[in-house]
Amino acid sequence: MFTPLRIDPAKLLGEVSAFQRKLAAGMESLRGMHEPEYANTPREAVYREDKLTVWHIKGNGKPTSKTPLLIVYALVNTVWMTDLQADRSLVRNLLEQGEDVYLIDWGYPDGADRWLTLDDYLNGYLDRCVDAVRQRHGLDAINLLGICQGGAFSLCYTAMHPDKVKNLVTMVTPVDYHTPDNMLSHWVQNLDVDLFVDTLGNIPAELMNYVYLTLKPVRLNQQKYVSMVDLLDNRKEMENFLRMERWIFDSPDQAGEAFRAFIKDFYQGNKLVKGTLTIGDKPVDLGMVTQPVLNIFAEQDHLVPPDASRALGKHVGTTDYTQLAFKGGHIGIYVSGRAQREVPPAIHQWLRSRD
Amino acid sequence: MSDHANDVMKQYQAWAQQSWDAWMQSLQRPASPFAPAAPASSDDVLSRAMGGLKSYADWLQAAATSGIAGQGQGDWQQALQQLFLGMGQPAAASPFMGAPFAGTPFAGMNQPFAQAFAGIDNAAAHGFAQQWQSWLQAMQPRTGEWNAGFGGDSPAFGYTRERQMQQQALLEAMREYTDASNRYNTLILRANADGFERLREKLAERTDPGRQIDSLKALYDLWVDAAEEAYAQIALSDEFRDAYGAMVNRQMHVRQLQQRQTEAWCRELGMPTRSEVDSLGKRVQELRRELRAAAGGAPSRASAPDAELDALRSEVAALKRKLSGRAEAAHAPKKVVSESLGAEAENKRKPAARRTAKAAPTRGTQRTRK
Repeated sequence: MFTPLRIDPAKLLGEVSAFQRKLAAGMESLRGMHEPEYANTPREAVYREDKLTVWHIKGNGKPTSKTPLLIVYALVNTVWMTDLQADRSLVRNLLEQGEDVYLIDWGYPDGADRWLTLDDYLNGYLDRCVDAVRQRHGLDAINLLGICQGGAFSLCYTAMHPDKVKNLVTMVTPVDYHTPDNMLSHWVQNLDVDLFVDTLGNIPAELMNYVYLTLKPVRLNQQKYVSMVDLLDNRKEMENFLRMERWIFDSPDQAGEAFRAFIKDFYQGNKLVKGTLTIGDKPVDLGMVTQPVLNIFAEQDHLVPPDASRALGKHVGTTDYTQLAFKGGHIGIYVSGRAQREVPPAIHQWLRSRD
Repeated sequence: MSDHANDVMKQYQAWAQQSWDAWMQSLQRPASPFAPAAPASSDDVLSRAMGGLKSYADWLQAAATSGIAGQGQGDWQQALQQLFLGMGQPAAASPFMGAPFAGTPFAGMNQPFAQAFAGIDNAAAHGFAQQWQSWLQAMQPRTGEWNAGFGGDSPAFGYTRERQMQQQALLEAMREYTDASNRYNTLILRANADGFERLREKLAERTDPGRQIDSLKALYDLWVDAAEEAYAQIALSDEFRDAYGAMVNRQMHVRQLQQRQTEAWCRELGMPTRSEVDSLGKRVQELRRELRAAAGGAPSRASAPDAELDALRSEVAALKRKLSGRAEAAHAPKKVVSESLGAEAENKRKPAARRTAKAAPTRGTQRTRK
């Protein structure tokens, strides 16, 4: 019988001093590093309203697809995850495949946006964004790509405005909010959302970030930074690290009323799959989504468990439903090397066969 | 460990302390009046990282003198317990404890998870604790007076009756929040203890040569796995859900009562209040909706005929699905095709649909047919 710990004392001292040396040297390498830019693929604003902007992303060549693709991101965090850095950019890869890509940048809500409801967001803002793209192309319907909460919004929108959506792609989208492994959902079940929103008004981004970090507290608050020490002498890797940190923590507050409804109706009531959801006065019936649907989810997603996304297949009305599982996490599905190789081509080919 | 090794460690610790001081100074000001300050981005990251890194570095140092190294057939479990739980040590010497815990429920506890929670420099999370402390200090003369005079349970009366009642309600809400917070923290502490037990179990499976842990980083990573597993199990429990909800709800109640008192003071000073601004914002938003609807733009509210049409659409879709389900059951089972991107994909097409769906023929793609 041996001991499981076989740590040589001399090696231990070396390990400890090496860590401190790296830290000391890291101070020098960090000094003078500027905030890393996102990929900033060339883009043009084609529609603005209040704080939102619809951007048309410009590729090197002319798009080969006939139908434009509008990316609908979540209200939490920013859409620039899809264009994080030049060699890890979903939008850039979609452009290279031949897609004509637009995306909605929701902006940063403030006190003036406190009373925006889901109705305002979906039947107001999103509908007008879709109209703007439709009008630019003279089309009755366009393709939507909804991400995370934006995927849930896209599903609702498609159910309410079926004539304006040709094909729907959802990525890491929660549909069934009551799967047993959904930690976020579990935590909010006993939350008095009315008291929460009435007290806070808009929900501060820092509070949202804090909640996300506590999903894996040791890994995200400590181990990540311990591992960062090994990157300190590698400027490029440190830039990538800082860029991701920028994206994680540069996030908007949540408009109070929209947050209230999203937690109550989606997380607590699970109304999307129960078929009891209404937005404004419009009923949202997933059975009304008869367009082709491509549903992509991440197998190691700690924010949106795979089963929460898989549920879409059972509830959506379409006869043309494709489901793809990606080996990775909620963020890795956009920025990992594997994602660059696999996800954009899969989306493009699926769309092309329905263009 | 030999005297020489101890001397080396002492010298090393002095040097390490200098390094930390330099890091902390670099966060506070530029190195020289002529050197540019570290940009905001790296400052932010360093601020966030600092608590975790400092705890980890302290833990490394504690490990170096703990006797965890060179364990032949010795009592590795005792050394492990000493290292992770710091039994019998003052909190200040604990690897995972530090300044962030002063004044928190974790103060005085050797508790790795506490760092993960309390070490984060987060205004939203810690602002409340600070706000609470300031509030208590500001209110101390009055609360002391009221408590002494009337007690929390005594009926309020006289000219200041309303104020007394507000204050009593706030004190009661704070007490309830403290209870709820303690309940939550107890679960976090349990997660930490469970994490240590899991670590011990994981290590017990690694006694074979070739599977042994040979570095502190490997030991730390194993502990993180164990701690996260233990935490996830507790965080998904009904007990945690109840405690979490209660803690947040109680905190919101305290904040709400504080806001009411603040608003009362603002009104006395003739200053606009948050409620008034909210009320104005709500009216503006309602006006915008009405204006847009009147202008014939995309209505934010469906008109009555629209709503009726939507309801009919839903009904027709439901009927169609029902009929389609019956037809399928009668004629053919629903065909399900599975395709994989990396690992798994599923393509569901009802028989009438065209069958053109193909997952992209990318690397790592597998196709299987159910």
